[in-house]
Amino acid sequence: MKRLLAIAGLLLVFGVLPAMAESEAEIKARINALKPADFPTQPIEFVVVYPAGGGMDVTARLLAKYVEKYTEQRIIVLNKVGGAGLVGNAYVATQAKADGYTVGVLSDGSWTDALLKAPGKWTQKNFQPLAYLNYEPRTWIVSTSGPFANKSTREIVEHAKQNPGKVKVAITPGLSGEWLAEQIEGLSGAKLIKVPFQGGAPAITALLGGHIDVAGVYYSEYQGHLAAGKVRVIGVASDRRLASMPQVPTLNEALGAKDLVWEVWRYAATPRGAPEERRKYLAAALEAALRDPGLIAEYAKKGAITERKYASVDEVEAAMDLLYERARNFFAKTGRLK
Amino acid sequence: MDILSGLIGGFGVILTPANLYYCFLGSLVGTLIGVLPGIGPLATLSLLLPFTFNLPAVSAIVMLAAIFYGAMYGGSTTSILVNIPGEAASVITCLDGYQMARQGKAGRALGIAALGSFFAGTLSTAALTLFSPVLVAFALRFGPPEYFALMALGFVITLFMVAGSTLKAVVVLALGVFFSTIGLDIVTGKERFTFGLIEISGGFELVAVIMGLFGVSEILLNMEKMAKGEFFKKRLGSLLPTRADWRASGGPILRGSLLGFGLGVLPGGGPTTASFFSYAVERRVSKEPQRFGAGAIEGVAGPEAANNAAVGGSLIPLLSLGLPSNAVTALLLGALIIQGVQPGPMLMTQRPDIYWGVIASLYVGNVMLLVLNLPLVGLWVQLLKLPYWILFPNILLLAVVGTYSAGHSFFDVWVMIAFGMVGYALRKLDYEPAPFVLALVLGPQLEQALRQSLIMSEGSVSIFFTRPLTAVLLVLAAALVALLIVGVWSRRGLSRRLTQALKESSR
Repeated sequence: MKRLLAIAGLLLVFGVLPAMAESEAEIKARINALKPADFPTQPIEFVVVYPAGGGMDVTARLLAKYVEKYTEQRIIVLNKVGGAGLVGNAYVATQAKADGYTVGVLSDGSWTDALLKAPGKWTQKNFQPLAYLNYEPRTWIVSTSGPFANKSTREIVEHAKQNPGKVKVAITPGLSGEWLAEQIEGLSGAKLIKVPFQGGAPAITALLGGHIDVAGVYYSEYQGHLAAGKVRVIGVASDRRLASMPQVPTLNEALGAKDLVWEVWRYAATPRGAPEERRKYLAAALEAALRDPGLIAEYAKKGAITERKYASVDEVEAAMDLLYERARNFFAKTGRLK
Repeated sequence: MDILSGLIGGFGVILTPANLYYCFLGSLVGTLIGVLPGIGPLATLSLLLPFTFNLPAVSAIVMLAAIFYGAMYGGSTTSILVNIPGEAASVITCLDGYQMARQGKAGRALGIAALGSFFAGTLSTAALTLFSPVLVAFALRFGPPEYFALMALGFVITLFMVAGSTLKAVVVLALGVFFSTIGLDIVTGKERFTFGLIEISGGFELVAVIMGLFGVSEILLNMEKMAKGEFFKKRLGSLLPTRADWRASGGPILRGSLLGFGLGVLPGGGPTTASFFSYAVERRVSKEPQRFGAGAIEGVAGPEAANNAAVGGSLIPLLSLGLPSNAVTALLLGALIIQGVQPGPMLMTQRPDIYWGVIASLYVGNVMLLVLNLPLVGLWVQLLKLPYWILFPNILLLAVVGTYSAGHSFFDVWVMIAFGMVGYALRKLDYEPAPFVLALVLGPQLEQALRQSLIMSEGSVSIFFTRPLTAVLLVLAAALVALLIVGVWSRRGLSRRLTQALKESSR
């Protein structure tokens, strides 16, 4: 035991500490050593496929701020908006030049769009990942002044089963909130009224106004209302509980299920085929930014979870492949894909 | 007296040289981008957002908000001078503002727009200061059925807006509704009328449509007039509103302020809708509705007051609920979050410096904008002295830049040109294109609310009659339709009186 401790101590001193102690200047020098001579000669564009001010946009802008810090290059965040992400995803996948100047700050929506809205036009293989950023699980919330203020997920689903058409759940069509509600209907036999909203903010307004009963939304979207005691979280669509609310069960725990896992999975990618040395430079800069305690804290404050890491870009790509297959199977099973 | 002490604290925050400077900077930038056709507050805010990262949170938000309401001040300028709206909320100002300019009253129109904006901005800030908590509770009562009823009322009101044939207005409105359905279906996510074109899977870009329908078509019409040599003689006239202008504008400014503020508070409302509503109301309550469209100052004063008041109103759901009611406030929300500030019910207690600082800055900013804009009126009017062969190519250039910057898509520039042709054809055939814009803005909201309501009620229309607020709004809409039908019935009598009045006035 003592020996083990000693080894651990030695490892800490010689292995981890020097790495942690790498100063900002050293990191900058390391990244700068990877900088190709002819790149970048103009600002790099971070493409966000959702509107300015939203969750993805804030993720990208914070990232840009820290990448600028390490590279001292100008980064422009470009919102390519339209068709609930389709326009921007198609842009990064098929239209943008693979020259390293276009970096998509994307989510799993980039390949669900490929599967559902643009079948045959592109796949997740068109995006060549640079880095994994963070994830955020969808959660089910209720209003503390509504009829289900003190009810658990199981009780609400049971109520919906006994009284079909009496529980209204806010969803965003074509996104995971809809699929989550469908899965819950499928495994419980309950019938939910799935009311479509364009995103989380209007759904939460309707929840606060008592027009709907449950909303499947992200923590960052209701943070303020949770602090004010206006809403209560009843379940987390992840394989583990949230560190910020350990008392809230996962939806799997609440309903005795296995696959109620719907997280927004955020990553940065170039269009496939960008010059390898430019990609290495970008990847190193992104990695430094993502390790910066400042960025980790800012992501945590808005509810994004950064604890899951992938050791290499290849691992990120392998994870993408897995998630892609999972989404494809789900869509095939629910009849969305022929 | 929480409000008073809060407000005093807010002024304490804002009346520092640095924050006054950022407020002024925002007002100036806002005025300029409001004046430039096509370049709107949304594109500007998203461009400037990164520059605010290193500012203190209060300064950043104060500056960004000032750009937003500054744009509402500046937006009317090109509407009045050259019949091309600076941004969507000033579309309706073209109808009478430009006619006033043709009659040599450009300065008076610009003056009333600036002063009306000032009064409306200040009034709505006062309302924001005093009634924020009550209004939040009211806004939350608006669920999908209430929105449906409100939007339905909006469509009916549009029919009262247009001077010419009601039937033609219906045609343009229907065309607008059709175009608003292009893109992804909001419930099923399936593409509609896109013919597989990814560029329009999100529908047509609003800025491109407005710049085409109003900007490009106006330039085409003027080229034609130049070729025929029937251009109107430029007269500059007085720069400030006369006493008679004031008397005529008092009511519209007050009504516009109330309407704009109310619509701004509702998530989904906003400056554009407010300006259209105000114009329709003014035309309805006017004793001489036939003057509208021919240079009525009420048609400038009301909508310009309404779009400014709406900005104040839209800050209520943003600050108190953390809920943006339009794309611009969504960006302000993003800016706050990046600054580490979470807007919502706790903002007033957790960050009183931000909450009250922003409110205090609205009072200060409105005064700055008035001081900034009144002297500018003289300058803008001089623009009319520019030969059109210099003015119009430059406007076209700005329209192209503005349209491109809205979505970073060159496809949108083609859309703009195509809608320029459509606008030209419509106006040649005496169809007023303004209702098209309203239909494009309200259409998707109406559809969404209708489908949400029917999903909530599992297909039963009773949901629209069992909720009191919804029922009241729908009855109002139905009454207006009845009024319209009666009006068409007695159209004969009306048109006789109209010709008579016109004869008298031309004498």
